[in-house]
Amino acid sequence: MKKSLALLLALALCVSLLAGCGSAKTAEQPSVTQPAAEGNEAEPATEEQKAPAAAGTLNLYTWADMFDPEVLAGFEEETGIRINYVNFDYDETMLAKLEAAKGGDYDLVIADDYIIETVIAEGLAQKLDREKISNFSNINPIYQGQFYDPTDEYTVPYGSGVQTIVYDPALVDKEITGYADLWDESFADSIAITANYRVMIGMALKVLGYSYNTNNLDELQEAAELMYKLAPNIRLIKDDFVQDDLISGEVNTAVMYTSQVTIAKITKPSLAVVYPKEGIGFGIMGMFIPSQAPNADAAHAFIDYILRPEVSARSYEYLGYYCTNQAADALISDEYKEFLVLPAEFRAEDMEMIENISAEAAEKQADIWAQFKTLCGQ
Amino acid sequence: MQGKRRSRGNAAILAPMYLFTVIFLIGPFVYMIVLSFLTRAETWGIVNTFTLRNYQKLLEPVYLHSFGESIRLAVYVTALVVLIGYPFGYFMAKLPPKARGGLLLVVMVPFYTSSLMRLYGWIIIFRANGLFDRLLMVLHLTDAPLKLLYTYPAVVVGMVYALLPFMMLSVYSSVEKMDWQLVEAARDMGAPPAKAFLTITLPLSLPGLMTGVTLTFVPSMGLFFVADILGGNKIVLIGNVIQEQLMKVHDWPFAAALSVILMLMMSLTVWLYRRVTGVSEMEGFV
Repeated sequence: MKKSLALLLALALCVSLLAGCGSAKTAEQPSVTQPAAEGNEAEPATEEQKAPAAAGTLNLYTWADMFDPEVLAGFEEETGIRINYVNFDYDETMLAKLEAAKGGDYDLVIADDYIIETVIAEGLAQKLDREKISNFSNINPIYQGQFYDPTDEYTVPYGSGVQTIVYDPALVDKEITGYADLWDESFADSIAITANYRVMIGMALKVLGYSYNTNNLDELQEAAELMYKLAPNIRLIKDDFVQDDLISGEVNTAVMYTSQVTIAKITKPSLAVVYPKEGIGFGIMGMFIPSQAPNADAAHAFIDYILRPEVSARSYEYLGYYCTNQAADALISDEYKEFLVLPAEFRAEDMEMIENISAEAAEKQADIWAQFKTLCGQ
Repeated sequence: MQGKRRSRGNAAILAPMYLFTVIFLIGPFVYMIVLSFLTRAETWGIVNTFTLRNYQKLLEPVYLHSFGESIRLAVYVTALVVLIGYPFGYFMAKLPPKARGGLLLVVMVPFYTSSLMRLYGWIIIFRANGLFDRLLMVLHLTDAPLKLLYTYPAVVVGMVYALLPFMMLSVYSSVEKMDWQLVEAARDMGAPPAKAFLTITLPLSLPGLMTGVTLTFVPSMGLFFVADILGGNKIVLIGNVIQEQLMKVHDWPFAAALSVILMLMMSLTVWLYRRVTGVSEMEGFV
């Protein structure tokens, strides 16, 4: 009797431990408008969710919390199309699901640039019908013609992020102007960086004057040596909620993404944001329609709706990423302008996108990163 | 004759179980082993070409190091869990039944909340100007915030905290059913308490202790999220490497090879457990 109780308790314990494993990676939020899509990455499995075009459902597949709920509600009200919002946590999960569905199941996907390149190469996206997207010309041309879709046939950008350095001037004596400053000894054990190795090794490549996307192993080796020297300054490596550690004073300097910069600045306006003088690397999130989308018409209508200046402005203020809709720039409120609209002095040639690199170079980068993290822990 | 018929009846009843095991346990395991001998594709997916590269790559110092790091951390954590968990389980079993039930509940209740949530609790304690920092400053032991979070000790504390109940419960269940008359006999024969403990109690509670050790050691090699959250991602355990290879580098075959080796290491631990205790079942689990 006692024994079986102990067994039961021990089992419950195992379960709680495993539950921790599952949720450790992302704190996923429930779907925005659709209670039907709860189960975090619920597939559109039920009859209703799989409904064909005639039923007027848009199966929208993207990360959690990408849209202001009112923006989504506005679309539903105007068109009568029901939005079935389905979440994924990683781009990779999305690609695997889309492969399994052979480009079907979903009507509109929003994901990162590099994965879209693979999606298009695998024939899982369909060409957009520009006739149906009257607001297409609102897109800021800076974000067009990029590597993942050179002729803009498949995608419409939805927000862009850069990696900037943010620091607390109250705790840092030195003025930071670029990545190279982070190597300064005064930053010992006080910098937070993102956990994306392409971004971080890219930072060392930029300091050396190389491209983010180099396939040259010698250049990568040089970047490796430089990275290893940065290790004593690193206090923290993580992707989510880095801004909290900067705000609380756990670190005094952080390299982070645009959405985090927005939150950090709004919470603590005294923080200083630096566009590194070495140039900035950025990423674009793109909307595309899968090749076998059940309701491509609804997807086109949604893209067109989002591209309206007033809808865009509202969406980017909610999202906290750079506005990729030129026509919306003027509508973004002053409070947000600084973070959501590219600075006037911004020059397109200073930016470089992070693209897919050769398997050999990617492996080299992964090895460098593992070694770097090990050094950080010593 | 009769035995044979019975076993055939058993087989029919157990068929769904076997099927389940094959589909959900053996199937994926075989798939993982096969995958570990295949080649990765340029950016995404795999190519069906046999290679030993994935196992050769394991021998690179940086990956060997992460195995070493995982074992080192597991050893520290297990040692601390034994030191704290064994006495706790032992004394819990000696309490009167009523108090015992209450204490058991106290040990278990926190585990009905997500372990992730509880780890964030440790962040609040450890962070700059957090509870622990302020306590030290109030006691005038320190006069400035310490950097406690994102350090090795923080990871060890988090791991010990997460795994301690496994030790408490298995020692408890072992000691609780022990025949105390044996100890009394030893004392009657003139053995001092320490000797009675070492010659009677300890050997009799050894299965529980070893179960606790196994249940601590094996998971602590895989609980990478503790190292992520409390260690600031700077302690590279084998679980972290697998996750990164899978999700970010897209090198599935290498991730599979790492997993195969990790599973072998865990199996070895369980085999050792059986050799040491001479029992084939986990104490407190059957």
